[in-house]
Amino acid sequence: MAAVTEEIEQVAQRYARYTAIGAVMIAMLWHTGYDLTVTITGWYDFRYPAVAAAAWLLYTAIAVLAAVALLRTSSGPARGRELAVPVLALDIAVIVACYPKDLIGPINWGWGSVGWLGVMLLWNRPRGRGELFVFLAANAGIMLAAMAVTGTLDRVSIAKYLMVEVGSITLQLGYLAGCHTLRVRAEDAVLLARRLAADDAWRMSARRIHADRLRRYDAIRDVAESLLKQLADGADPGDPRVRADCTAGAMRLRRLITEREDVPDALVSALRERIDAAERRQVLVTAPPFGENLPDLPEGVREDLLRAPLRALDGARSRARVTVSAMSTMMSVAVVADNDDLPISTTPVHEPSGVVVTYQRQGGELWVNSIWQGP
Amino acid sequence: MGQQHLAGPVTVALVEDHQVVVDGVRSWFSPPGPVCLVAQGSTIESVRGVAADVLMLDLNLNGTLVVDRVAELCGGGQRVIVFSEHEEPEIVRAVLDAGASAFIGKGRATRESCLETILEVAADKPSMTPPMAQAIATDEGPHRPQLSDKERAALLFWFQSMSKASVAARMGIKERTVRQYIDRARVKYAAAGRPAPTKEKLLICAIQDGLVRPDEVTVYTSLAARSGEVT
Repeated sequence: MAAVTEEIEQVAQRYARYTAIGAVMIAMLWHTGYDLTVTITGWYDFRYPAVAAAAWLLYTAIAVLAAVALLRTSSGPARGRELAVPVLALDIAVIVACYPKDLIGPINWGWGSVGWLGVMLLWNRPRGRGELFVFLAANAGIMLAAMAVTGTLDRVSIAKYLMVEVGSITLQLGYLAGCHTLRVRAEDAVLLARRLAADDAWRMSARRIHADRLRRYDAIRDVAESLLKQLADGADPGDPRVRADCTAGAMRLRRLITEREDVPDALVSALRERIDAAERRQVLVTAPPFGENLPDLPEGVREDLLRAPLRALDGARSRARVTVSAMSTMMSVAVVADNDDLPISTTPVHEPSGVVVTYQRQGGELWVNSIWQGP
Repeated sequence: MGQQHLAGPVTVALVEDHQVVVDGVRSWFSPPGPVCLVAQGSTIESVRGVAADVLMLDLNLNGTLVVDRVAELCGGGQRVIVFSEHEEPEIVRAVLDAGASAFIGKGRATRESCLETILEVAADKPSMTPPMAQAIATDEGPHRPQLSDKERAALLFWFQSMSKASVAARMGIKERTVRQYIDRARVKYAAAGRPAPTKEKLLICAIQDGLVRPDEVTVYTSLAARSGEVT
């Protein structure tokens, strides 16, 4: 499931990258296919052809800078806003390079083309969309001002102006909006995949725990059945062995009834496993519920907390009591057992993780207690 | 208040829905003994109105946890001992906050420990079973009592060790001092929680016995004004 999540995250990254590449391709194709063609073919129609050529080169240089940033980071260059100023300047330069009669003509390529450069520069930048609106408005304003200055405000020119503006701005903003929607959908897909993965992990854990509980219920049922059969066959309820077996079964059943968490803590799981193992060796284990709010333990603490108490439990002869006490910055694990063999330290043992283990023998019982105090 | 129970056996009503547990408790209390079972039923309503010094209450009745009924029972001044396998600290704290005098965990209850708790509760003395010690020591709620480090350590060790004697050995103090730490923690816990008549009785007794001073128990300030009722 984690692999699927990673895969979809990569898809979202690819969306961002390839839509950026799309913007680069459109701008470059437009710039070489149209801007370059009309600059060369209309060379003699320009008032200042060298200015038009310089503007084309400046456009190309800025477009290369923007393209490098887009390919590396899927965002426009860090100084995209500052670079928009020379772009508007080259827009003016192309206007100046044309005779007034060609202002609305095909060789004035600047005003219809710089919008794509604006898209590249402000792509995926913070506040980039608002800045692009300002940029496109400035471009439209410059052209309108030029038309007013040169007296090109006849009906045909205004109609051409509007047609080119609406056409180019629709394409540029439309591409931007389309890509944004794609990216948002891809991000939604990632979030959904993550949620599904988390749900699946939870479900799988719960199913495993449920199956484990059923297995333990089955085991207890077998024990209970055999005990009832013994009693029905005349076993003496006063016999200490029969009574001990009944008590052991009741304790296991009680512990199962009080287990309420769906996904137990790692420490609790480790303890339960060893309690089960001890019970299989006919050790009578009592273990009050471990609680639900156990703290997150730093690396290595869990192992140090469990090591000595589990040794005491593993070596229990006939009975053991396992307890866990926890607060937000404290955890204490203890085992009291009739373990005669475990070598003990008479002084507290300080583990490198900060866990302190103490041992005590009294009245035929061993008490092993490991405590971790958080910062 | 505690004196009156020295005259005869302490009377107990039991709310428990499992016959095998009822039979077990009945055998523990069989006469002659210091405790006498005067009523039993599988619902709270079935023992309502019965005059008993102590009500023993199983928390899981016919598949439903009755934690939220404890406050109503204690509100009338009834001493309640909860007798349950639900020893989770959160549940123990909830019933103690509601005014229960003690919580006995079914997991390791013995006749002796059960009788000891009932007698202490009937005499309004501080009673502290291992599940209570754990619940009080790990309380991090906003109204938790201000326990000293030694009181908290004594509670935790009492919950996790084999006996108060072990706790004494571990802490390097006398067993009597361990008892004192544990009893003081119980009194502080009663004072810090929501007021309930059963907690007031415990606090008054603790002060009479010299276990705490009136100024150590903030809740008691209001009770001190009613000292006429105590004596």
